[in-house]
Amino acid sequence: MTSETSMPPDGSAAVRTRDLIYRWPKSHTSLHFPDLELNAGSHLFIKGASGSGKSTLLSLLGGMLRPASGSISLLGRDLGPLSNGQRDRFRADHMGVIFQQFNLVPYLSTLANVTLPCRLSPQRQQRTHPSARAEATALLRDLAIPESHWQQPVGRLSVGQQQRVAAARALIGQPELILADEPTSALDADNRDRFIDVLLTLAHRSASSVIFVSHDRSLARHFDQELVLEVCP
Amino acid sequence: MRLRLALSLAWASLWHRRRVLALVTLTLTLSVTLLLGVQYLRTEVRQSFSNTISGTDLIVGARSGQLNLLLYTVFHIGDATNNIRWSTYQGLTDDARIDWVVPLSLGDSYRGHRVVGTDRGFVEHFRFGREEALSLSQGEWFGDVFDVVLGADVARQHQHALEDELILSHGGGRTSFSNHKDTPFTVTGILAPTGTPVDQAVYISLEGMEAMHIGWQSGVAIPGRTVTREEARKRDLTPSSITAALVGIERKVMTFQVQRQINEFRDEPLSAVLPGVALSELWRIMGQFERALLGITGFVVVTSLIGLIAVLLTLQAQRGREIAILRATGASPSLVAALHVIECVTLAAIACLLALALSAGGLALISPWLLENHGIQIGLRPLAPTEWLILATVPATAALVGLIPALQAWRQSRHHGLSHGSDG
Repeated sequence: MTSETSMPPDGSAAVRTRDLIYRWPKSHTSLHFPDLELNAGSHLFIKGASGSGKSTLLSLLGGMLRPASGSISLLGRDLGPLSNGQRDRFRADHMGVIFQQFNLVPYLSTLANVTLPCRLSPQRQQRTHPSARAEATALLRDLAIPESHWQQPVGRLSVGQQQRVAAARALIGQPELILADEPTSALDADNRDRFIDVLLTLAHRSASSVIFVSHDRSLARHFDQELVLEVCP
Repeated sequence: MRLRLALSLAWASLWHRRRVLALVTLTLTLSVTLLLGVQYLRTEVRQSFSNTISGTDLIVGARSGQLNLLLYTVFHIGDATNNIRWSTYQGLTDDARIDWVVPLSLGDSYRGHRVVGTDRGFVEHFRFGREEALSLSQGEWFGDVFDVVLGADVARQHQHALEDELILSHGGGRTSFSNHKDTPFTVTGILAPTGTPVDQAVYISLEGMEAMHIGWQSGVAIPGRTVTREEARKRDLTPSSITAALVGIERKVMTFQVQRQINEFRDEPLSAVLPGVALSELWRIMGQFERALLGITGFVVVTSLIGLIAVLLTLQAQRGREIAILRATGASPSLVAALHVIECVTLAAIACLLALALSAGGLALISPWLLENHGIQIGLRPLAPTEWLILATVPATAALVGLIPALQAWRQSRHHGLSHGSDG
């Protein structure tokens, strides 16, 4: 139950996909994705209008959906042969996820939301310094969440604060990959740039690669690489 | 480790939704209390019933059904069809096979309580529960014609003490207008509580019964024919008949022989019944209702479990995001499903604990009232295995029932990607 998924060999790509096709269950329509190649520590911006399959691509990368054909290799590991349970564990061990909004478990405190990945993955727990709680408070401090909110239910946080808490949760335990699905769409321009800045700075510190999906092309300037998803005919 | 996580998440989730869930739990608590209460009372009432008489081998009365005979002699319900002649009673006492005979003479009342005319044999031979003998908490058994001994409840209810003077009423009923005013009785003893109908009656001698009816032969007091206590003492007070008799057999193997002989008695139509057999027939009739009641209560519990599901499924609709977050953080679908089952079982367990407390509290409140008004003694006792089993089926059923939202969550979380299901 606590066996860890293996670490990536040095120098390999963080993400590599080949000929990825997704088909919805009980449907003939399918999505073709361009090949991705992302080095460890680099950040990728994926631009796509709604309906272009951005979220589906993230779900495929996160191992929550299986492709109809093609291969996904994360941190040097092929996702194809992994069972559902193994992919869940791989995600718990190596990935952080940030949604568009409603990122937090409503019945857990701010701090408990941040440390949640460490409770699901012993490996993430081990990689925290010096402890999950200490790293969580450090991250919350870096992300400018007032200390008075740490033990409070998350319902009292503003939308901007909620997104930053979600970032802290994604970053804790230094996962190799962070998947962000339009995390700034609910934020105003000021907050948006600040959010991306602090996210990328902290990701850099823990050597995590960020895959950031948005329809807003202006954000692309923060990232090393850019990919545009075309709307399928 | 996963179990601890699931438990702590489930608990946090329940606490978060406590306002809605408190109502469902309350419904479940009440229905489990009802179920537990019905089962408990059923056992206790049965026990109380079979405790009312023991040690008596035969009850003898005028020819009638065994239930009727049992009801009017032991439970003080209903009336005798006829009397037994005094000579017949004496014949019984002379029978060598018969160890003892206790005469019972019924028909009068004291403020709604039966007046039982009997003799010293009653306190010596009557047994209840596990062969327990009667004892007096105060004073002593009657010795004089105008002495009366009170059942524990009668004394408590009317706050009588020794030496009090009582006027007995003619016939039954709570308020009687024809009272034996000329022949008051003096309390000489009060019986210790037994939890049986014995507590609800007053006891006088057969002679006393005879004395207060001098001048009442037509059913009402004829002026000038009634007598004072002093005049009565000078008369011959041997009764001409009694209502029934309790019989103890010298050697138990002879019981059936004696019973048959009494039933075939030529001079007078008599019935002799075995108290145990009559009691079980009485219980058989009551048992029908009691089983129906248990069945209905079972349905009440099922109904409230369905209510629980309805609420959980409604809440489920709001939980899509939370499940998506847990899944994205690496929680497996089985962990998500386990959350639902744990929540359901926890609610059921809480309901059961509350129901236990509620039943215990309720019984503690209701048992004095039951004893006082119905002569049924219900004590608090540890639960019997059957009752534990009934109680345990509630969380077990809840676990099964919790599988419904659990499976739904499990399927949902398998087929959704990283999105919330609502967008993208």
